[in-house]
Amino acid sequence: MTRRLLWTCTLVLAGGTALTATATSARAQGDTILSPSYGRRAPSVRGIAVDARMAEDFGLRPGSVVRLSGKPGIPGDSVAVAAVFERKADPAEVARREYRIRAHLDHLQQLLELDDRVDRFAVGVPDSVPIDSAVARINHVAFGFRAHQSAEVAVQSSRTFRVVERFHRAIGLITVVASAVFLLCLLLLSVEERRRDIAALRLMGISQATVVRAIVIEAALVSVIGSVIGAGIGWVASLIVNAHFQQVYRTPLLFALLTPEIFAFATLTSLVLGITAGAVAAWRLVRTPPLTLLGR
Amino acid sequence: MSMRATLAFATLRRNPARTVLAVLGIAVAAALLLDMVMLATGMRESFRSLLLTRGYQLRVSPKGTLPFDSEATIDGATAIVTALRANPDIRAVSPGLGATLALPGTRFPSVFSLGLESDVQGDYVLEGGRDLPPPSDTTASAAAPLPAVVNRAFLLRSGLQLGDTLTVASGVDAQLRTTARARVVVLTGEGRFFYVPAETPVMALPLRDLRTLLGSAYRDRMSVAMAESRRGDSASVEAVRRWIAQTQPRVTAISTETAIRQVEERLSYFRQLAFVLGAISLGIGFLLVATLVTLSVNERRGEIAVLRAIGTQKGGVLRQVFLEGFMLSGTGIAGGLLLGLVTARWLNGILRDFPGLPAAFDFFLWSPEAAWKSLLLLLVSGTLAGLLPAWRAASIPIVRSLREDAVG
Repeated sequence: MTRRLLWTCTLVLAGGTALTATATSARAQGDTILSPSYGRRAPSVRGIAVDARMAEDFGLRPGSVVRLSGKPGIPGDSVAVAAVFERKADPAEVARREYRIRAHLDHLQQLLELDDRVDRFAVGVPDSVPIDSAVARINHVAFGFRAHQSAEVAVQSSRTFRVVERFHRAIGLITVVASAVFLLCLLLLSVEERRRDIAALRLMGISQATVVRAIVIEAALVSVIGSVIGAGIGWVASLIVNAHFQQVYRTPLLFALLTPEIFAFATLTSLVLGITAGAVAAWRLVRTPPLTLLGR
Repeated sequence: MSMRATLAFATLRRNPARTVLAVLGIAVAAALLLDMVMLATGMRESFRSLLLTRGYQLRVSPKGTLPFDSEATIDGATAIVTALRANPDIRAVSPGLGATLALPGTRFPSVFSLGLESDVQGDYVLEGGRDLPPPSDTTASAAAPLPAVVNRAFLLRSGLQLGDTLTVASGVDAQLRTTARARVVVLTGEGRFFYVPAETPVMALPLRDLRTLLGSAYRDRMSVAMAESRRGDSASVEAVRRWIAQTQPRVTAISTETAIRQVEERLSYFRQLAFVLGAISLGIGFLLVATLVTLSVNERRGEIAVLRAIGTQKGGVLRQVFLEGFMLSGTGIAGGLLLGLVTARWLNGILRDFPGLPAAFDFFLWSPEAAWKSLLLLLVSGTLAGLLPAWRAASIPIVRSLREDAVG
């Protein structure tokens, strides 16, 4: 059985800046270690890893020495910055502007005067052991703690994003309705504006079906061209949005993404709306006598 | 109704499909604009009213942290609270300690507990039963059950009722299966807690008893203290905040304004989304009215030329076309107001599912001033959209237009 211990708490860096420290392996947390020496320093001067945002703000680099204490106003320990790590792009943390350090578990426990305590630990079970039964067995003997399946934890911790996703879908629905009405209105107007041309075509003997087909094809073309231009504007807007929010939140996260699926959905929606609007407008016009269309 | 209004109304009624679509488009744009204004202002106002629920304008938390943003606590709490209470500019101070207590033998293993002083607490309002005794009440014996106020979620999840007792414990030793300290608690009251999510079970205990229960390490600790400035204006509150910052180096004092600013920073995504979508809806409303009135004017060049030929003044034509844009915008906005309130309720329901959100927090809040201003902006922009086509209509060459209309 493999086991990974985690300890999360709040520490205070000498100087009064609060930061969150997690004692664990930086690699195990999915962070990118920018300096390879983390964890190799002699135990007399303990090493910590600081996140890139903190290193940048405080001018820290591997080798820098800072003081770390568990309480404000206490000198604490001198520790060396052994590594700078890039935090993983986690949407859950994007709006939190706190700094992070990673310390050795025993070091953090010692700083906080909390012996042999952890917030949580992860347990890896062999493939042959069903996770359900492992969780049940742990909880059967648990006292003061509970075991949860990673999948359950993931579901709970992703609740925020599911809410945001539902909100985005709702907003998307409203904007699709707004743009659909706008599109219908424009196409209806642009077709109706050409009532004289249509009347002339009808007087020349062009059949109703041909006129309707021509208008529908035109509406479809306008819709597709409009969608392509809209996608282009959307793509540029997504670049601006990403550049802005990545700079605001100092994260590599992508906030707006134009995927082929989104492009296909937008094009198809506008095509359907365009064809519908074109067909409705054309049908209304071809049913009107040509002379009436000419105002006679 | 004046003749101009009658003519404008008749023009709109002549093409019902077109008018209905335009009104619908403006209504959706107005609804979206209203929702985005409600989102942009609602979070701020909702958070402000949440923080000021009991009048406390200042929060004192461990240095460098936001209240309950971490597990950090403040040592030497009694001295700090005494110093704050001695300041004549401070009306009241409410210290609070947050901790997780074990619940052996109940349906869930632990509960978030708040240690409070009932006479000054600003964390809950009692909805049933009896409140916690004031700190001055020392009549209860050490062996008597501790009084506790819990929320509805606690009662539902535990299956207990007011008057029932249970054991709470701290200092859990998982290996020895023992607890360092335990007390019997009697559920005396049910409260609605302002800052705790509705679905989270919570228990309030007297601060002194919770400290005892947590052991010697917590003898003189608190997680947060709320302070109320005697004078409520922002300058006085800021002066008190500065005084706390200068005299208490181990804590951070945060005013309501600072807390709102920090929360706004975290939720700035929603504000910016609201701004972008609000601007888009304004643009859609403007374009719809401009396009519609322009095409309508182009269609009626002959008709307008006739009006001019029989003596209608340029200003009269201008006013009539202008009125068309106003009518379209006005009707659309009236519908948009209703639609916006319905969709705001729907969207608020979605966002209120955010985990960890206080029960009293709303994302979409009806703020009459902001809402009316935004709808007025849309009305003005829609009406102005008709200005150019109206000017063009009033300026058409009469003879040429009559001839073109006659010849076709």
